[in-house]
Amino acid sequence: MSTDRGIGLLEGRVALITGGAAGIGLGIATAMAREGAAVVLAARRIENGEPAAEALRDAGHRALCVRCDVTSRSDLESAVATTIDRFDRLDCFVHNAVGGSAAPGPLEEVDDGWLGLLATTVRASFDAAQVAHPHLAAAGGSFLLLTSAAGMEGSANLPVYAMVKASQRALAKSLSREWGPDGIRVNCIAPVARTPAMERAYRANPELEERLLGRTPLRRIGDPTGDIGPVAVFLAGDLARFVTGQTIVVDGGGFLGL
Amino acid sequence: MGTRTLLCGVGSLSDDLIARLRARGHLVEAVDPSVLVARADAGSAVDAVAGSLGAVDLVVHVLAAPDGPTPLVDLSTDAWVAACEDPMVGALHLLQACRSHLGAGSRIVHVVPTSAMGGAPGFAATSTAAEGLRALNKSVARQWGADRITTAVVAVAPELLLGPAASSAGGALTGPALGHTGGADDLAGIVDALASPDAAFTTGSTIVADGGTWMAP
Repeated sequence: MSTDRGIGLLEGRVALITGGAAGIGLGIATAMAREGAAVVLAARRIENGEPAAEALRDAGHRALCVRCDVTSRSDLESAVATTIDRFDRLDCFVHNAVGGSAAPGPLEEVDDGWLGLLATTVRASFDAAQVAHPHLAAAGGSFLLLTSAAGMEGSANLPVYAMVKASQRALAKSLSREWGPDGIRVNCIAPVARTPAMERAYRANPELEERLLGRTPLRRIGDPTGDIGPVAVFLAGDLARFVTGQTIVVDGGGFLGL
Repeated sequence: MGTRTLLCGVGSLSDDLIARLRARGHLVEAVDPSVLVARADAGSAVDAVAGSLGAVDLVVHVLAAPDGPTPLVDLSTDAWVAACEDPMVGALHLLQACRSHLGAGSRIVHVVPTSAMGGAPGFAATSTAAEGLRALNKSVARQWGADRITTAVVAVAPELLLGPAASSAGGALTGPALGHTGGADDLAGIVDALASPDAAFTTGSTIVADGGTWMAP
């Protein structure tokens, strides 16, 4: 892992990232750490998250892993409590984790396995918002949700994934209006990045990568740390102090519908 | 024969819409959204309505909304589930139950508040569900279009579904260009037009029917 450092855009700040052990979550955590933030990687399996946190610490960053199944409200409460106990504040809560069954297929064949997807995205966003709110208000912080262009354009392959990702955008907009007077900003990132989940999707659907690249003007798939992370840094920091209720699509220009 | 319409909704807007559609010649049977959360119950209810109508040409799902505004931080989990998660689960079950009754030329319409697109303080849960339904509508358009089943969303002024407390929730600088936010009279004609074969080349789109308040794309 690179030990390079940024220019201190998040110096003194503290961020908690769900799904922080790998993929986009780890990319965001790494980018934030390089800009000076203390980062808490909330991971469902500590054995996955702790090596990532250790690598960040070895690179000279402040990092911690907490075990957190986002479908458990008490786990979210515990993760936030540990963050406050260890770092005294919470400036940015990033809800990135997504789980449950979202296998591609016809709507008619969606079974109750999708309720896990609903729990990790929609319910966890609700629980995380309630748990994080007082700390974000105290810090004048921000709440960041990871969504998807599928939620804006619909999906022929992942209809319920599109539904939950769209719903998170509307939650962000409503919260931006409710929490603005508290000094809390709420935004979304809709990324496309090369992650373990994306690699699995490529293996299941070999044509997917070619189709994605074909509609992407920048002709590549994003890197979690180098491409997605800096946008999260921007939204979490003072440069975005007047930005709230927005979705930034970070996908090389593949979706241009906003 | 009139358009055979299955309408799922509860509340005054749904009731008025049923009356106006019947006045336009639709054969309308209602499904109570409270039965949709259980997949089997949704199937039974839809099968009964489809049996009564003979077939279904038009499905209208009016998003049910809770009473009164509540800040998200004060919302109980049960209230969140009722206002956000159950409507999304129910929308999925309704579509799954309807699929076998829908043929070429049929139309699915979701009626949601414009707060799906703009958010609404105090109504985060319903707005969250509403945007979920809008995306579901688009995905169904993509999946079922090959069978010439089309979809649309009609986005209405928030107060029509969320009550008077939502009247300023849209965050608009100005009021509706047409001077009022409308009602079932205004919406029935749009829904009726969407059911027409003349409208069959639009699918997955959102028609904002709020008198000209929300004008974002």
